[in-house]
Amino acid sequence: MKPLVVEQVTKQYADKTAVNNISFEVSEGEIYGLLGANGAGKTTTMRMVLGLIYPDAGSINYHGKPYSKELLRTLGYLPEERGLYPKVRVSDQILYLSQLRGMSKKDADQNLKYWLERFEVPEYYNKRVEELSKGNQQKIQFIAAVNHKPSIVILDEAFSGLDPVNVELLKSTVKELRDSGTSILFSTHRMEHVEELCRNITILHRSNTVLKGNIKELKKQFPRERVILAVESEVKGLESISGVTGVVVHEYGYEIGIKNEAVGGDILRHAMAQSTVTRFEIKEPTLNEIFIKTVGDRHE
Amino acid sequence: MNSFWTVVGFTARNKFKGKAFLITTLVIAIILSVGVNLPYILSQFDKGDKVTSVGYIQSAREELAAGSATGDSLRTYFEAQEGANIKLVPYEDKGDSAANEEQLKQAIQDKQISGYLDFGSNATGNGFPEMTYKSEKMMEFSLTGNLQTALQTIRTTTVLQDAGLTDEQLSMLNAPIEIDSVQISTVDGETSGKTPAEQGVNMGLIYIIIIFLFMAIMTSGQLIASEITAEKSSRVMEILITSVAPLKQMFGKIFGMFIVVLSQVSVYVIVLLVNASMPHNKGALLDLDIDLSKIDPMLLIYAIIYFLAGFFLFATLYAAVGSIVSRTEDLGQATMPMTIISLAGFYIAIFSLNTPDSMLVKVTSFIPLFSPFVMLLRLGLTGVPFWEVAVSIVLLLVAIYAAVYVSAKIYRTGVLMYGKRPSWKEIRKAMKAYKI
Repeated sequence: MKPLVVEQVTKQYADKTAVNNISFEVSEGEIYGLLGANGAGKTTTMRMVLGLIYPDAGSINYHGKPYSKELLRTLGYLPEERGLYPKVRVSDQILYLSQLRGMSKKDADQNLKYWLERFEVPEYYNKRVEELSKGNQQKIQFIAAVNHKPSIVILDEAFSGLDPVNVELLKSTVKELRDSGTSILFSTHRMEHVEELCRNITILHRSNTVLKGNIKELKKQFPRERVILAVESEVKGLESISGVTGVVVHEYGYEIGIKNEAVGGDILRHAMAQSTVTRFEIKEPTLNEIFIKTVGDRHE
Repeated sequence: MNSFWTVVGFTARNKFKGKAFLITTLVIAIILSVGVNLPYILSQFDKGDKVTSVGYIQSAREELAAGSATGDSLRTYFEAQEGANIKLVPYEDKGDSAANEEQLKQAIQDKQISGYLDFGSNATGNGFPEMTYKSEKMMEFSLTGNLQTALQTIRTTTVLQDAGLTDEQLSMLNAPIEIDSVQISTVDGETSGKTPAEQGVNMGLIYIIIIFLFMAIMTSGQLIASEITAEKSSRVMEILITSVAPLKQMFGKIFGMFIVVLSQVSVYVIVLLVNASMPHNKGALLDLDIDLSKIDPMLLIYAIIYFLAGFFLFATLYAAVGSIVSRTEDLGQATMPMTIISLAGFYIAIFSLNTPDSMLVKVTSFIPLFSPFVMLLRLGLTGVPFWEVAVSIVLLLVAIYAAVYVSAKIYRTGVLMYGKRPSWKEIRKAMKAYKI
């Protein structure tokens, strides 16, 4: 039984469709990426998974069972907009939120101390949230989402507003959670995070699923259209090779856009005739490019 | 059930810990103790009643003789009275009226007298010359009233002396006539009536309960609404609502706030009682003929029922209002209708203390949002048939049920709606969309 199965879910708001026929599955110990531009329907999807709003059609199953009140305890949620009591002590509110999800005060306290240690900020235990910096509030927000040991965690833009060091720290924590068997539904605008963390993704655009599947498989579906060429001396006439769509000069050499993979060979031969080639690569598309391509195409 | 109490505990604990709460409670407790002790404190400054000195011209001249005689008789009258608060001070005749006026005005300036009586020379047919009281102050009605009473008594005595009545007849004429008013109940075969003293105690009690109820509703209502809005605007709501059922959360909040308000009100009541039972205040209470043992226990029970019902009705509605607003700045405007309704109930009750049987009171004592204030007034001051009370309470309970039902729905919808304050139409639409 997969921890989370969303099947053909549709949500209609009075005059517009917020989510149209979306399906995906999250396995145990998997981070599933939910991508999309602003207003694509990510938050609505997450809210439906959280049971805040009910789908008009389709079903959502958790470990094979439909939504129930008891299920709330096994869910953890980090909302896109940070939500904590500004004037309440970190310990008070984390314990409160964990207790609301049915954890005993003692266990919650133990977990909180573990997490504060993990984030190297044990001194925040007695601080008010408003005293903390934005990045540190984000750590507390993350603890609020996972302190009660949920089996399904929903992270909406978990890394926004963090400095690179803290992004790494949080990223490694998320991976740890994954490795301990937690299912994570993950949304972000930062494609490099998705590439690093997620096995499968769904890209939403204007309420519709436009792309879905394993990242590796998806990348194979997209043509390789970029060549990285590093050479020791200048290479002339690259633009004139047929099938080249553009050339950008970098310190290390050239980045060349091509129509199809076959053009790569022509470029390599052309370059070797003029100089010594130290690096030649026909790059697979980045998720960023795929995203812009699929979403951007439909913008027009 | 467990998480309900967690919410209650968290709400109450945070309020109790808050500095604002402690300071407000303390300040109001201090104001209350000062208020209770105020009569005593004032009496310390103001030993014995102040005597107002009134000047007049004593003269043998023909045109002033009548006035002078009146002044003299007033002086003897007040001097004969024990503890009189008016004293007549004679001044010599300077020969002409302008100089006399000048002299008396000077006396006012020197603070020897606070005003003077100016007698005209024309007879008025009532046995005294025409007279005017002149002073620097306005509206000296109680003083002139006292003077009038005194003159009336003087005249009666003089006339009666001349009439040759016996002493018995005289004392009979002078004996005051008394009518006692007792409020009786004409329903349910109740025989006990309420004496004026009991009515006074009841009126005082009702006055206090109505004020406390109003305070409890206003402060806790605002607090509940603003807490919910704050949770919404800080987005903690999104986490809360995924942890606890919204209904549990809403009632946890209301109940937590109820505990807070209850303890606040009991602090005030204790402060009042402690202060009122201080030895130096005992006399004051007795003077006012207030005997707390005269309170009807049934009235207390009704008071508690209406207090609880009124509190929960308003609290649920405030919670609903709080849930549809997403910024604290918009809250005042959104709670305005609630505030006006509670103000209306409060004022209907307070202004009708003297006319507890008017049609307005009868009608509003059945209307749920007003009845906690108004029915209490009727119960305390008039006899109300039991069925009317029952109907009023049932209507109130029905209203609470409806308010809970509607508020829960609005709450469930409202907490997820951000941005500008939604209109009713938008809320209805959202309810439909969320399938609530």
